[in-house]
Amino acid sequence: MNTEQEVLRLLDEVLSLEGRAAGFTRETHLLGALPELDSMAVVSMITALEDAFGIVVDDDDIDGATFASVGTLVDFVSGKLAA
Amino acid sequence: MAALPAPQAFFLPRCEPAGGQRLALFHAPQAPYRGAVLFLHAFGEEMNKSRRMASLASRALAANGFAVLQIDLMGCGDSSGEIEQASWSAWVDDAVAAAQWLQQRHAGSLWLWGERSGCLLAAEAAPRITGTKHFLFWQPQGSGKLMLQQFLRLKMASQMQRGASKGVTEGLLADLADGRVVEVAGYRLSPALALGLAAASLQQPPAAVGASRLVWLEVTSRVPAALLPASAPLLAQWADAGYEVSSQTVAGPPFWQTVEIEDAPELVLATTEQLLQVDAQGQVQTQTQAQTQTQAQPAEPAQARA
Repeated sequence: MNTEQEVLRLLDEVLSLEGRAAGFTRETHLLGALPELDSMAVVSMITALEDAFGIVVDDDDIDGATFASVGTLVDFVSGKLAA
Repeated sequence: MAALPAPQAFFLPRCEPAGGQRLALFHAPQAPYRGAVLFLHAFGEEMNKSRRMASLASRALAANGFAVLQIDLMGCGDSSGEIEQASWSAWVDDAVAAAQWLQQRHAGSLWLWGERSGCLLAAEAAPRITGTKHFLFWQPQGSGKLMLQQFLRLKMASQMQRGASKGVTEGLLADLADGRVVEVAGYRLSPALALGLAAASLQQPPAAVGASRLVWLEVTSRVPAALLPASAPLLAQWADAGYEVSSQTVAGPPFWQTVEIEDAPELVLATTEQLLQVDAQGQVQTQTQAQTQTQAQPAEPAQARA
């Protein structure tokens, strides 16, 4: 499973982006740039990541920087998978 | 599809010991009668986002011969009580009372249909409900502990952009452990509800009474489709406990958490197809006997005595 592809799929799905995530790159800014990514959507995203990857995310694992860009988010998930 | 009669809204009789009224919505079954279904909704915002899907599926099941009861648990929707007065055990009591209401009026197969944390409630209520129960799980969350943490996260996330998100969930858990009500995203959550939820798990299935089925449905847009990683061990435990287990993924959006309200029609279809495989006496039907009704058939009026 390609982590970046899976993360983009989840972003598109949870945020109801209707396919826009397909055009995202690692550099695409997320938190603060995507209006759909409000605090409730952040929580839904973390839940979706937990369920899809079978990881458990503690509060201390994440902060605003985690959701700064597609790249930071993908790296976060890769890190949890490697742990 | 021919028009179904409108569902009947009423209040379930006083629910003890918590007291108060619970709003119930009853969908009368079209002929031929297939069985009774109790819907146990999800937690918090997931419940709100799922209202439409729950309604669509309830109506589809009714059109296919099922008597469907939806209830608002204590403190939720239009039921009485503030959410902070609710407890997990009061919710279990509500589920039991609703199941008994159905059983008193509709013989034959009883399905406990849970969505997300509602599955945990169904499993916990089952031992107090007599007779054979079948289970229909929509996107089950097998761990109440994880469900609670995912909910509490709303508070942390609201502070994330200000950089004040560390330790927030821990703080909420400590408050709950100390017996204090916590406030998260406008919900006031009591320890009795939070800790009860946290203790709930699908890991120890209730004892199967008679030939019981578990239908486990997950919605995904993944290609190729696959069940979530946490599901396989739980399915194995239920099979070991004597349930005839059928698990299925359907294509669709995660409507219980999407930013916009979305539909997953494949889930409605899979739900009716799976439930039609078991007839009103609890016997599994062959493929030729079970045909999904897309037309409501004229029937003798099915009177629900409220």
